[in-house]
Amino acid sequence: MKPASFDYYRAKSVDDAVSTLAESPFAKVLAGGQSLVPSMNFRLSTPSLLVDIGQLDELRSVAATPEGVTIGAAATQYAVESSAEAAAVVPGLRAALRWIGHRQIRNRGTVCGSLAHADPAAELPALAVATGATMELRGPNGTRTVAATDFFRGPFWTDLQAGEIITHVRFPAQAPNVTTRVNEIARRSGDFALVGVIASIGSSNGSVDTAVLSGFGLGATPVRLTAAEGVLHGKNTLDEPARMELYEAAYSDAGDPFEDVHASTEYRRESIASLVVRTATAIIDGSSEKGGRS
Amino acid sequence: MTDASKRGESEVRIKVTVNGTQENRRVPARLLLSDFIRDTVGLTGTHIGCEHGVCGACTIIVDGAAVRSCSLLAVQVDGSTIRTVEDLAGDGELTPMQKAFHENHAMQCGFCTAGFLMTLESVKNEDYSDHDDLLDLLSGNLCRCTGYQDILNAVTSVWETGTGPSS
Ligand SMILES: Cc1cc2nc3c(=O)[nH]c(=O)nc-3n(C[C@H](O)[C@H](O)[C@H](O)COP(=O)(O)OP(=O)(O)OC[C@H]3O[C@@H](n4cnc5c(N)ncnc54)[C@H](O)[C@@H]3O)c2cc1C
Ligand code: FES
Ligand code: FES
Repeated sequence: MKPASFDYYRAKSVDDAVSTLAESPFAKVLAGGQSLVPSMNFRLSTPSLLVDIGQLDELRSVAATPEGVTIGAAATQYAVESSAEAAAVVPGLRAALRWIGHRQIRNRGTVCGSLAHADPAAELPALAVATGATMELRGPNGTRTVAATDFFRGPFWTDLQAGEIITHVRFPAQAPNVTTRVNEIARRSGDFALVGVIASIGSSNGSVDTAVLSGFGLGATPVRLTAAEGVLHGKNTLDEPARMELYEAAYSDAGDPFEDVHASTEYRRESIASLVVRTATAIIDGSSEKGGRS
Repeated sequence: MTDASKRGESEVRIKVTVNGTQENRRVPARLLLSDFIRDTVGLTGTHIGCEHGVCGACTIIVDGAAVRSCSLLAVQVDGSTIRTVEDLAGDGELTPMQKAFHENHAMQCGFCTAGFLMTLESVKNEDYSDHDDLLDLLSGNLCRCTGYQDILNAVTSVWETGTGPSS
């Protein structure tokens, strides 16, 4: 047994989970356990009580409508990835999910759990920022809705207040003329990204009129690469000078990414700039390059 | 009812079916599913490598889906149907994939083998005819010995072009 001792409580409903959490300051929510259990195995996390919401049927839904996809907190990453309806409305979901760990992880890990965990190198927070997703939270003071841009505060730090849980996340439908690709650099297939980008680019009459670039693995939270987005506007192809311009812009957007044993600040900057050029070129110039898992 | 210490227990009774046998056990809340399988139920075919979800040695099938048993608590799978590597040749006959591993020498020390077999078993009716998809699938299980080529040969010998026929 690796985790330290704790009490386990299987919530009977969302309200039951919220009221239980409210009474125990050292309690934690358990969803898929794919981040929490490994960190408890290392005793990096030693909650006194786990409130399991992973079995709640009321949170299991993956609902796709023409307006968007709403995902409950007990819906697994693989359930969303394998939903053709979800992929049709928000193509970025499947594209991003395929990069997460491995199938065995996604079979248990949840979409909302990844958002709550807020790993700076995770794909889904960056997708939430790129698409303008909103989180529905429920806590001791009732329910509230928070936009992704306000939700992520720092590494493993969100706007979730004590006793609050994400009950659902809502991803708005992608506009019909937009294409989304996800691309990242990792040391091994399935590892967390060193850096990565979600690119949603749309054109009308042949030139780009929508460009969203959301980088991850760069800073404390997902980073919008706004100068690079600006370069893309109005382009109908990315020729050599345009690609250079895009590279420079993405490089400066990256700021000063953190350094760790796997990658220096400079390596991360150069990698994100290259990824942005590669990914945007694939979308705008219609390359059929499979781009890893995307 | 309002006393939080009354909600939640350090030991929980769980009922699961493991390889067709009902198990009704009281287990510590902190017991990992991998330790439940190996120590409580006594099935040691499931191996434990990293214990943080990375290596895949502990892969088993829960309600039809491959999972890392080291990254789940036993209490999380209460009510499920579990299959471990011991179930594959439960009737004494190796599955086509097990035979192919044998024939292609798709193992050296064999520590990773149970995990590979369970991952492959879980998706045997899905389409892995795309070679990159197959490599991506196999990359979820680490092997320190073989260099993967013999494993890949074993899989493609059963799945022909990589497509998994039901066997
Ligand atoms: C080997 C491995 C590789 C991985 N690779 C990647 C990767 O490449 N990219 C990636 O993004 N992730 C990766 N992950 C993490 C995976 O995506 C997790 O599933 C995810 O981060 C957490 O989801 P979960 O449902 O498992 O949450 P849990 O582990 O159950 O919980 C994680 C945290 O979030 C809290 N929480 C969970 N749900 C809620 C909720 N609804 N409301 C409030 N708080 C909540 C918990 O209290 C806990 O603090 C990997 C994991 C492993 C083990
Ligand atoms: S022991 Fe479970 S993944 Fe390594
Ligand atoms: S055969 Fe030894 S680890 Fe795979």
